[in-house]
Amino acid sequence: MSSPISTARLAQGSDRRTDERRKLIVLGLCAILVLVLFLPFFTWIRVADQDALYSAMGLKASVIKKLTPDHSILTFLSFVETSKQGVLGFWSFLLLIVALAAIALCLLAFIRYLRRNRVAEGKGMLRTYSTFQKGMVFSFATAVGTIGLIIFANHHYGLAGFAPGISLFLVPVISLVGYAISKRLEKTERVLCREHGFIEEFRRNWILFLFLVPCFVFFLINNYLPMTGIYFAFTQFNFRDHLFASPYVGFKNFEFLVRSEILHLTQNTILYNLVFIVVGNVLQVFFAILISHVANQRLRKTSQTMIFMPYFVSYVILRVLVFNMFEYEVGLINNFLTSIDRAKVDFYNTPSYWPWIITLFYLWKNVGYGMVVYLATITGISTEYYEAAQIDGANIYQQIRYITVPLLKPTFIILLLYALGGIMKGQFELFYQLVGNNGTLFSTTDIFDTYVYRITTTQPLSMGLGTAAGLFQSLFGFIVIVLTNFLIKRKNPEYALF
Amino acid sequence: MKIKDPSKMGFSVIKGVFLTILSLLCVLPFVVIVSGSFTSNQEIIRNGFSLFPRDFTVEAYKTIFKTPEDILQAYKMNVYYTGIGTVLGLIVITLTAYVISRKEFKYRNTVSFLIYFTTIFGGGMIPWYLMYANVLNLRGTTLAIWFPALITPFLVILMRTFITGSVPDAVVESAKIDGAGHWRIFWQIVLPVLGPGLATVGLFQALGYWNDWYRSSMFSTSSKTWSLQFYLYDLVNSTQAMRQMAQYANVNTADLPTQSVKLAMSVVATGPILILYPFVQRYFVSGITVGAVKG
Repeated sequence: MSSPISTARLAQGSDRRTDERRKLIVLGLCAILVLVLFLPFFTWIRVADQDALYSAMGLKASVIKKLTPDHSILTFLSFVETSKQGVLGFWSFLLLIVALAAIALCLLAFIRYLRRNRVAEGKGMLRTYSTFQKGMVFSFATAVGTIGLIIFANHHYGLAGFAPGISLFLVPVISLVGYAISKRLEKTERVLCREHGFIEEFRRNWILFLFLVPCFVFFLINNYLPMTGIYFAFTQFNFRDHLFASPYVGFKNFEFLVRSEILHLTQNTILYNLVFIVVGNVLQVFFAILISHVANQRLRKTSQTMIFMPYFVSYVILRVLVFNMFEYEVGLINNFLTSIDRAKVDFYNTPSYWPWIITLFYLWKNVGYGMVVYLATITGISTEYYEAAQIDGANIYQQIRYITVPLLKPTFIILLLYALGGIMKGQFELFYQLVGNNGTLFSTTDIFDTYVYRITTTQPLSMGLGTAAGLFQSLFGFIVIVLTNFLIKRKNPEYALF
Repeated sequence: MKIKDPSKMGFSVIKGVFLTILSLLCVLPFVVIVSGSFTSNQEIIRNGFSLFPRDFTVEAYKTIFKTPEDILQAYKMNVYYTGIGTVLGLIVITLTAYVISRKEFKYRNTVSFLIYFTTIFGGGMIPWYLMYANVLNLRGTTLAIWFPALITPFLVILMRTFITGSVPDAVVESAKIDGAGHWRIFWQIVLPVLGPGLATVGLFQALGYWNDWYRSSMFSTSSKTWSLQFYLYDLVNSTQAMRQMAQYANVNTADLPTQSVKLAMSVVATGPILILYPFVQRYFVSGITVGAVKG
């Protein structure tokens, strides 16, 4: 009988070592070769039958002059853009992303290899191998996908206009070789580290995988498949062509956004969110502390219920409420102003009031929720701390300052990180319902979500633009949260969100 | 042992004052809505809104229920969406949360991150809309209205944190040694102690569905599939619906209690979910424990 440990000892023999060395060098070579073949001057796609193809595409002489016959997968999109062949756009775009991922993964594998002495105990080279394998899979997919693109394009134009370059056949071969060797190496390393692979994990916990199926289906349909629609941001979207066949226009939509809306949308979205986060959290902590000191159970329950109640109000009803308060003719406030002989205020035509109104109602709706979250943490704090502090003569403010508040810090950081993750996502329903399509107020109340919603529902021809705005919003928020999380992780890994 | 603390007096004053003010501020708008719904429209137009109905009347409610077909249809749809969304959502969320709470599951952090990732990055509203409307062709179906909100990533993490906190690893381990599989562990050991978690997540889930108007506005092709809130939204916005109602009710459009009808509708639309809250409240504080994405 051979236990894993004795096999591992055998594997450490010097013969095995030199063998592994040799294999590692081959792996490195594979990665370098693949990376080199991705360079723009290696031809992947060649325009073989130029005259016939260009006339089939219906191109003018001025456009043809700008086109070159040789393309790598990294530069093919510019061909699509110049020749205005939207049909090929989505496919080439997807391949470009897969290619970039392959390149990134190969580079990452190198970095992992160079830093191998600093990896966490017990994992050995496993992560390096798995990154490398992913890199190989992606480069293989790029090459095969490119062949598919060529076949598709030739079929579409009905002639053999495109031909594959030599690189296109080298890449899959190299990828396969690299993948096979790395699998071999991984196997011995697995035994050494006593780690098991996906198949073993599936055999052990297949029920858990089964539990995940509905969740997987949901996120695939609702989130991950729609991500392919990011491509619309790079097109001049129309419903006339097939969904993915609108003309590819590169970064034109983004250029337009940068020139017109982006600055003011970003500014509005971020400022509102910062105010919501800061003021919201301060109030929530403040009231959570107050309410935790209410000794009378019934009083405590009652006020908690009352403060939580606004959270149940739908935004449509909030709209009714705000309208009733701020309306010019019969609104509560103007009514009051008239009764004390003051001039009425025209809220619905004065943008400067709305940041206040929106913030006020955001707080009104959300203070109760956050308060309960903080209250849950406070309830978890052991009373011994407070008793000890009382014996030492600390008064109630000192107890709050030195016991409660520091112990709320982890909760605060987690809530903050979740909130920062959505810093570019406004409270769409809040803004849309309070402001609606009242254009006079947009200068102070328009945020990304309302802008995109307006485009989706009223200007179907600007959908490319709307997607671009959405993509910018998404990317910006993503970068903010990844950076913040990284900084917090470096300072204190305990508090990091992921 | 009680120790006299002079600062306590001042603190209890602060406590009393602030909590009273906040509680009142939170409840006041409800009072305005309810009292407005019992006031006649002329009174509102003449004297504006007030905290107490100056002339008590149920005119507005009568108008709504004179032609109850539309509102009952919207109510029925809302109950349907809320029911199916809450039950299915709760099942799927709990199953997922159980999986990512298990330490022995190798990919638990990968799965939680993939779930969280959807909240920080995505294709945006337009690709999402086109996915349901043009690719899956679900416009006009009820599926398009309840399916997209089935799982809220934040609720999965809330549930995961709750499971980690209330089911000790040792219990699961010993059950495993006794030969129980994940299926049995989930149903017989984990599920019975999840009361507060299920109540909290269920309430949030139900609230989300009950208050939804957005998906109805996006995917409805006829008023048959409208949720209650979108019906209300439409009512608030369009004088058309008002006029139609007046026609059926044989009231002169000018006399129509527009303002008070809106308020009465608000009361009718919020009522059920507010009534649910007190039943769930006692689980609430123990149910809301927010944790990180990684386990």
